[in-house]
Amino acid sequence: MVSDFFYPNFGGVESHIYYLSQCLLKLGHKVVVMTHAYGKRSGVRYVTNGLKVYYVPWRPFLMQNTLPTFYGTLPITRTILVRERISIVHGHQAFSTLCHEALMHARTMGYKIIFTDHSLYGFADVGSIHMNKVLQFTLADISQAICVSHTSKENTVLRSGITPERVFVIPNAVDTAMFSPAPNRLSCDEIVIIVVSRLVYRKGADLLVEVIPEVCHLFPNVRFVVGGDGPKRVRLEEMREKYSLQDRVEMLGAVPHSQVRSVLISGHIFLNSSLTEAFCIAILEAASCGLLTVSTRVGGVPEVLPDDMIVLAEPDPGDMVHAIRKAIHMLPNINPYVMHSRMKKLYSWHDVAKRTEFVYDCALQSDDESLLQRLPRYLKCGAWAGKLFGLVMIVNFLLWRLLELWRPAESIEEVPDLVLVQNEHQEPMQDFVEARD
Amino acid sequence: MSRGPASNNKYSYNHLNAKGPSEAIDVHDITVKKSRLRIFLSYFGAAVFLTATFYLVALKELCISSIWIILVCFSLAKVLHHKPVKKESVMIMPAFGVQLETHYWSGRVIRRFVPISKILKPVLNECVTPVTCYWSLALILRDEVELMLVFQKLQPPVRMLVPVWKALCAATDCKRNQHHLNLCAVLVSVYLASDTD
Repeated sequence: MVSDFFYPNFGGVESHIYYLSQCLLKLGHKVVVMTHAYGKRSGVRYVTNGLKVYYVPWRPFLMQNTLPTFYGTLPITRTILVRERISIVHGHQAFSTLCHEALMHARTMGYKIIFTDHSLYGFADVGSIHMNKVLQFTLADISQAICVSHTSKENTVLRSGITPERVFVIPNAVDTAMFSPAPNRLSCDEIVIIVVSRLVYRKGADLLVEVIPEVCHLFPNVRFVVGGDGPKRVRLEEMREKYSLQDRVEMLGAVPHSQVRSVLISGHIFLNSSLTEAFCIAILEAASCGLLTVSTRVGGVPEVLPDDMIVLAEPDPGDMVHAIRKAIHMLPNINPYVMHSRMKKLYSWHDVAKRTEFVYDCALQSDDESLLQRLPRYLKCGAWAGKLFGLVMIVNFLLWRLLELWRPAESIEEVPDLVLVQNEHQEPMQDFVEARD
Repeated sequence: MSRGPASNNKYSYNHLNAKGPSEAIDVHDITVKKSRLRIFLSYFGAAVFLTATFYLVALKELCISSIWIILVCFSLAKVLHHKPVKKESVMIMPAFGVQLETHYWSGRVIRRFVPISKILKPVLNECVTPVTCYWSLALILRDEVELMLVFQKLQPPVRMLVPVWKALCAATDCKRNQHHLNLCAVLVSVYLASDTD
């Protein structure tokens, strides 16, 4: 698994990679994660169940992304792929430069590659245009692609020009064991609405500023709890001051991931006001905790929950207030425990891992191709871009051959599979030596 | 005396187990094979660099391209540079200590002694650099933050490191048995190497 985004960063992509890797380990596969170093955290680390993570010491330069040097990561990628006996390289998130570079190198070296897209992107602004071109390059020669919702599949196919038959849709899941409802049901006298998200423009913090005073005015028994931090927090504080809602709106600041559940179970309704979402894991977590969700009808959100667990609204303050009113009326009929057991059946990471395994099998069955057979796919990408992409791949191929001459693959020692033993007196490295001989 | 047969085209490994008057002394050697080609290339690289520098300085033209040429020749010389290390050896004296020696081709020997009580555990590390990943053997010392590398100058392959590691573990284990330590079964720690010399 390759991505710029992994633990110790917290987010949708990071937890997706982590949970998927854990479930694949349980299915018996070998998983290695490659990401860039986070501060002092660099080198090889083992996380739960022996998942090996390579924190490659390349400096991040912009928003947690490694500096894109095109060919700089070729030696370390090649070393890791050879020493760990990798068969498939799975990259995550279009915004990750390390992912694109590693997929390019892996393809040059003949490995099968898979890409998972986690977000929706636009088409109009300069940043998006460049990002889409890079994505087109990576997906030109990909074995298979995965998207987290049908809306996301449509978006990816339009942005990159890949054939839809190659794209699989595997929704994210939620750890229902961690997100369970409160043991005692909350009373409905005072209704608590929870908002937990980064307070940025994309997540609709401006909508919140309009909606909260309106709702507080219409429903005197409603209280808000806002968790999360970001540039728009100032606007929310100003709103609190302006309408004197200090006792009705509680601002928690940044909530660590381990405490999200305790914040969620203190409320009845979860409010999500994002302006764009490919798939919203936050509402899955809320539903798993037994909260009724009110959300904006954007992106892949309508595909996530059944209609009786979510109330959708247009991203417009008036419509959202109307939706909150509807949710408050629905509240007495909601049983958190029934919701939680439904979520357990609907979403599970083991199911995601099995479906991903199927995609891996499809990828492995595709034929091995030489550089000459693959180049035409790059040349089709555009008048100028196609030739540039073809050139980039040829240079990458030549550099790889040079590296093979200088440091042959036989000189890279393979890492034996370490067996994790709980008994401290046993010598685990004995397995080490036997595996090598 | 027993010999280890492991060798590759750059390093060769030897294990001498001499029986002293009262206890066995274990000696593990890793010798660098003398390669004329490497010595020639190293002198060639240095010669190119020095010639280029003197030529450009003598001509008194220090523009950007000449600085680039000097830099390129310098990196070429650095890459081709041949380390003057002849062999590195580890002498394990059980219940007493471990002596780490570095022998150079010029005859110089650098020795470091580590008493057995100072060693907490010998570990095999995977070191990750921006361009590669390799194994190294290091000792975790009591009361010290830094790990001590057993083979400071050489980077032998891991199949040569494993017997040395096992011998070091055996030597430190006998001493350590009275101290009950709760160590995790897989002890692989991280060491970021800044250069790959």
